[in-house]
Amino acid sequence: MDSSVEAHRAGGAWPARLDVAQSATGLCLAAFLMLHMAFVSSILISERAFYTVARFFEGQYLLGTSHPAIVSGVAAVVLLLFVVHAALAMRKLPHDQHQLGAYRRHAARFGHADTSLWGWQAATGFALFFLGTIHLYGMLTRPALIGPFESADRVWSGRMWPLYLVLLFVVEVHGGLGLYRLALKWDWPRGVDRTRLRRLKTAFSVFFITLGLVSLGAYVRIGIAHADHAGERWTPALSTAGR
Amino acid sequence: MSAPTPRRLTIHILRSAPGDDATPHFEAFRIDESEGMTLFIALNEIRANLDPSLQFDFVCRAGICGSCGMLINGRPGLACSTLTHDLGTEFTLAPLPVFAVIGDLSVDTGRWMRAMSERLETWIHATTDADLDAVEPRMEPALAEAIYEADRCIECGCCIAACGTAQMRPDFVGAVGLNKIARFRLDPRDEREDADHYALVGNDDGVFGCMTLLGCHDVCPKGLSLRSQIAYLRRGMAAQGLR
Amino acid sequence: MRIFYTDVLVVGGGLAGLRAAVGARRRGHDVTILSLVPPKRSHSAAAQGGMQASLANTTKGAGDNEDVHFEDTVRGSDWGCDQVVARMFAHTAPKAVRELAAWGVPWNRVTAGTREVVMDGKHVTLEEPALAHGLITARDFGGTKKWRTCYVSDGTGHAMLYAVSDRAIAEGIPVHERKEAIALIHDGGRCHGAIVRDLVSGDLTAYLARATCIATGGFGRLYRSTTNAVINEGMGAAIALETGAATLANMEAVQFHPTAIFPAGILVTEGCRGDGGVLRDAAGHRFMPDYEPEKKELASRDVVSRRMEQHLRAGHGATSPFGQHLWLDITLLGTAHIDGKLREVKEICRNFLGIDPARDWIAVRPAQHYSMGGIRTDATGAARGLVGLYACGEAACWDLHGFNRLGGNSVAETVVAGMIVGEHIADLCESSDGDLTFSTALAAEFLSREEARLGALLHGGGAESPVALMTRMQTLMTDNVGIFRRGDLLQDAVTELRALSVRARNLHVGTQRRGANPELVTAYRLQRMLKLSLCVTEGALARTESRGAHFREDYPRRDDATWLQRTLATWPDPEQATPTLAYEPLDVMSMELPPGWRGYGARDAIEHPDTERRAREVAALREARPAADRHALQAALLPFLHLLPPRLRGPNARAGGDA
Repeated sequence: MDSSVEAHRAGGAWPARLDVAQSATGLCLAAFLMLHMAFVSSILISERAFYTVARFFEGQYLLGTSHPAIVSGVAAVVLLLFVVHAALAMRKLPHDQHQLGAYRRHAARFGHADTSLWGWQAATGFALFFLGTIHLYGMLTRPALIGPFESADRVWSGRMWPLYLVLLFVVEVHGGLGLYRLALKWDWPRGVDRTRLRRLKTAFSVFFITLGLVSLGAYVRIGIAHADHAGERWTPALSTAGR
Repeated sequence: MSAPTPRRLTIHILRSAPGDDATPHFEAFRIDESEGMTLFIALNEIRANLDPSLQFDFVCRAGICGSCGMLINGRPGLACSTLTHDLGTEFTLAPLPVFAVIGDLSVDTGRWMRAMSERLETWIHATTDADLDAVEPRMEPALAEAIYEADRCIECGCCIAACGTAQMRPDFVGAVGLNKIARFRLDPRDEREDADHYALVGNDDGVFGCMTLLGCHDVCPKGLSLRSQIAYLRRGMAAQGLR
Repeated sequence: MRIFYTDVLVVGGGLAGLRAAVGARRRGHDVTILSLVPPKRSHSAAAQGGMQASLANTTKGAGDNEDVHFEDTVRGSDWGCDQVVARMFAHTAPKAVRELAAWGVPWNRVTAGTREVVMDGKHVTLEEPALAHGLITARDFGGTKKWRTCYVSDGTGHAMLYAVSDRAIAEGIPVHERKEAIALIHDGGRCHGAIVRDLVSGDLTAYLARATCIATGGFGRLYRSTTNAVINEGMGAAIALETGAATLANMEAVQFHPTAIFPAGILVTEGCRGDGGVLRDAAGHRFMPDYEPEKKELASRDVVSRRMEQHLRAGHGATSPFGQHLWLDITLLGTAHIDGKLREVKEICRNFLGIDPARDWIAVRPAQHYSMGGIRTDATGAARGLVGLYACGEAACWDLHGFNRLGGNSVAETVVAGMIVGEHIADLCESSDGDLTFSTALAAEFLSREEARLGALLHGGGAESPVALMTRMQTLMTDNVGIFRRGDLLQDAVTELRALSVRARNLHVGTQRRGANPELVTAYRLQRMLKLSLCVTEGALARTESRGAHFREDYPRRDDATWLQRTLATWPDPEQATPTLAYEPLDVMSMELPPGWRGYGARDAIEHPDTERRAREVAALREARPAADRHALQAALLPFLHLLPPRLRGPNARAGGDA
């Protein structure tokens, strides 16, 4: 037995690494998601607030000048986490029609919440392959175009709002479920009550979806108002309020 | 005083006989409910009066031996300790999925469990035989009780039948297997170390394959805390793998 | 012709069979186990309360040793047991517990310091010594002088069965599941194995073996009201009986457990009373002290069951739609104790009675529980009448229990007998007697005989319903051959059982499937079960005395003068309608503990003429050697160590020294 144990020890660390990595990337992405929403929703305070936050992330207040490449860098890191997480999680998805059928039959027959919820988790995860990638690619390639007008124009004149609308639901449901599953998977907090945790999960999704919808509405509103000037960049002097 | 009219039960049973050409199909049986009727009593009544060829497995009929796991309205459970009173007047019974069907409600859990035991070596590994004449080695009372918590598993197969992963991946050891390793990890009489445990369950057919759908935890007839046992094992195995 | 060869064929995958198999396997022999069900489903798992072994770790076990355990066992048996076997057993039980501990059984342990317990209905504080902390603890059980029953909550049998079954897997012993031995292959003097039916495919195979060991458990399903699992139909004993050469013994010695839940008949452990639970009647009155002032609820099972039925007859039963019953009250033990040490009881009460035993009383009534009788073996487990045939556990009449078994002595017997018999089987395999001289013609003859029997059942065109006859037999046994027995009722039962046997030759099996066919199984088992029922009933009718669990209202006294004998039943001619009974006297002059009063129950035995002489002899021997240690004295009275395998002969150490 010892030799086989040695063999496993030699090449066998990967399953543990991958499992931890799947959880860790998920946790990081969920954390990012929350920060991101806080950032995006600053538009609800004022255009200036959002502008300030955007410039902050470009390093303006630390470095003295804006460096949109920093945003690209962040987007690149997030994209990397995203790809790694997707690749790791993909291992758990049904591999073929047979497995998919087995799961669906099981879930339908069993009528068990945590089993059915996983179907949603998997489906939203699958959708994120596309939705998330498109969004992240945009941020990666055009990092400078983040600002009250720039973002609003992207949403409205750039016809991105339908994608964002879907992405919002998908990502917040996935994130909520993912965090819920993570807490149960590692039993942290230790012995946490599942009913409470499930309520928390729902609250998470509802809260962020609501915040997202309201924020998206704000961008749409600005986007419509600014449609004639689409492409024009926002400066503190140009706020819609000041027009 | 006249007895109240008993309920008339309609029980839909999934019939099959491997080897016969007929595809599995539901057959309805109608019987009068008696007071305190369990599915053990109901099925025996059907066999005695309606269809002597009906196959099912009971041994202890007291919820102790784990023979009579089946899907009761799609949910895995022990038939012997299920009262018809707790079901509607119409319900379905089907064999546990994942396991090979012997016929009707009878499945071969024995072969599956033996294979699992051999694969995970579910026994105490000690290099020396105990001295039977000497006073037994001491053990903390609380530890003995903690071991028994996990040792109460009756290998009924309900956790496997309730596991989304096990439906999709036949090599997954399931909660029953993971709980065994958790049990032997606790036991100081077993000289195996975490490296050995990792060699057995440190992969996607083992603890890292568990997606925390918790069907196992929710259906376990003995009420084992499978969620925390598996999480505890996952943490240990992750730590071992990352070491 | 399908033939399968193995050195040792063990029929039955419960604790006894598994432990014997491990013993023979460790000696290097090929062992194959046959089991009706996956071994971990065996009825051994249903043993709840514990296993007796004189470890003497606890305060209330202090001073316990093999001598006390031996005497409790002999008294419990109402002097019906084989005292040499009781000695072998009491000596080996501590080793068995310790071996099981090493194999992983999570025995409950002693916690040093004070603890609250309930004794005789009152809360008492006990102090456990620091010296014992972490050693295996014990609870009280009926009929014992010391707290001797080692336990794992109330899942002792389960924990033991899993440890031993996993050990068998570790040893690589194959278990052929869902296989039933339906006949022993023999030539009248030597057993060569068994004809085995695959319960899934229906195929018959001749299993040829140097040694065959029957460990199929008891025959509780002869009764309608029983705590036994549905597989406990006594088929091992039945196929031994059908050889005509092997012998069954004491079949009338049937135990009724006081606390089966009513009406389902599911056992709740004696541990309930051992831990302080009491029995109450319809009025809530605790009645056992009225009948048994000394041991109360903790007299032996035969006595308590009888007193309960007596109390019911006196009109004190509680009424339910299913009939009369009494109450078991464990509410005084408290939720914490019930949740920790009586959790199976709690689950059973919840699932089958819909009550919480921490708050409500449990409806109970005695039900058939254990078969003291079985295949007669010698002290090594070798069956009388056929070389190469062994039996152990409940299937055997090794004769540890005589006419009443003490609670906690059955799971103990399974592993102890397994440890001993497994070694003796290995000895046989290694001797010249173990050579398998075998003709395939014999196997072919038995195979075709069994094929023909099954064929006749399937296609015989009879008219009788196997299920109906089975139900009638079970009802008859419960009604007429139960706790209180009477000559006329027993005679009625014999008459009707014979009639049922005749009708059972004319069975109708509607399902024509050769393979998995529950109706066919019921049919062929019914025929054998009727034979066993006749052995029980004829034995009970012939035994005109009361001893242990066998109680004759028309002969209420224990009659040592006439009946200090073991009943032997054989069935030499397949055509005969009833068993042939014979008797084997128990030798008072070689008893270490001559017959006397048990310390509970009636005190009116008719003495054996040798009893007084032997009692004087024993007393004189003790007096003559006042300085001798207890082992030397014991060896002079009743030598037994030579019958044990050498590895089991050592003295048992105790933490507190030898008492």
